Parts: sequence; structure tokens; C-alpha cells
Amino acid sequence: MEKINKVSGNQILFYAILWAVTFISCLVAVKEFQLPKTLGIVLSFLPTITFVFFMYHFIKGIGAMDEVQRRIQLEAAAWGFTLGILLLMTLGLLDHVVTLKKADWGYTHLIPYFFVFYLIGIIITKRKYD
Amino acid sequence: MKNTIKVERAKKNWTQEDLAGKIGVSRQSINSIETGKFIPSTILSLKMAKVFGTTVETVFQLEKND
Repeated sequence: MEKINKVSGNQILFYAILWAVTFISCLVAVKEFQLPKTLGIVLSFLPTITFVFFMYHFIKGIGAMDEVQRRIQLEAAAWGFTLGILLLMTLGLLDHVVTLKKADWGYTHLIPYFFVFYLIGIIITKRKYD
Repeated sequence: MKNTIKVERAKKNWTQEDLAGKIGVSRQSINSIETGKFIPSTILSLKMAKVFGTTVETVFQLEKND
């Protein structure tokens, strides 16, 4: 059981890193270089492909987990989702009151927060069941 | 709900890791169930009772406030 989880865990990590590298590369390319519009649009959608691979293996990996591990993932996802909503809600309201710098609070800047919230959920939930 | 998993493991001289391997779950899962932090599914309870060579009712008992 642990061996199967290790294999799927490594696969998930591989596709996560692949997606992160693709995303960061495309982000740098569209931000720093004066690209033709068509190319810019293609690069904007390119990380979607690697993200779909990551998503597939992540969800498949959860399916291969035992019931306690699946419960941990469910509760971690609940933490991540609700904290994400909290962040977006707060920023959305603040945006009407103060001018939030796009350089600091643009769409791409918010992505890491969702992963951090999910990790916070993992830490809290693992402590709960350990 | 309370359980006698630790006692049953001791009878067989099994670690949590050993029991986890026999029923196909992680050691963390066994620890969570044993310490009462997680209530196992029917199928997992049945598997556990089977490897212990006993009944589900011997391994798991309802408490008064359940």
C-alpha cells in the first residue's frame, strides 16, 4: 500500500513541478518580452496542458489512498477552498476602497496562496488524525 | 466508539506497521483508528476483525454516548 502511494506521490510531484516550470516560463515570456498577440495567447494557455496532467494524477492519487488519507485530503481541500474564498472576498472588497497594485495582487500572484492554504489544511488535518 | 485494536495487536505481537500491511492501509490510518480519532468503514472493520481472527464486535464497541 505504501509502495503504491509512493509511486503515485512521485508522479504527482513530477507533474506538479512540470506544471510550475511551464507556468513560470510562460509567465516570464508574456511579461518580459514583446510577443505577437497570437503567440502570447498560445503561451497563456500552454500551462493548462501540464496542469491537466497534474490534476489527473493528483485526483487519481487520491483515489488510490486509504480512507484516512482521503479524509485528510478532503479536509485539506475544504481548508484551501474556504481560505481561498476568504482571500478573494477580502481583496474584492478592498479593491473598491483602496487601489490594489496589479503588480502585487494580480491573478497570477494569487495562485501561490491557494497552494499555501491547501498545505495549511494538510498540516492541520494531519495533526488531527495523527 | 472504543476499540481493542492495541490488545489484539499485542496478542499477535504485531506493530501498527504490521497490521497496516496486512489490511492494505497506511500506518497512520491504523494509528488514527486505534486512538479513536477516525471511525473506520464497515469493510475496514471487517478486514481488521478477519486478520485478528475474531469478530467486529470484539474489536469495536459502542460507548454510552454513541
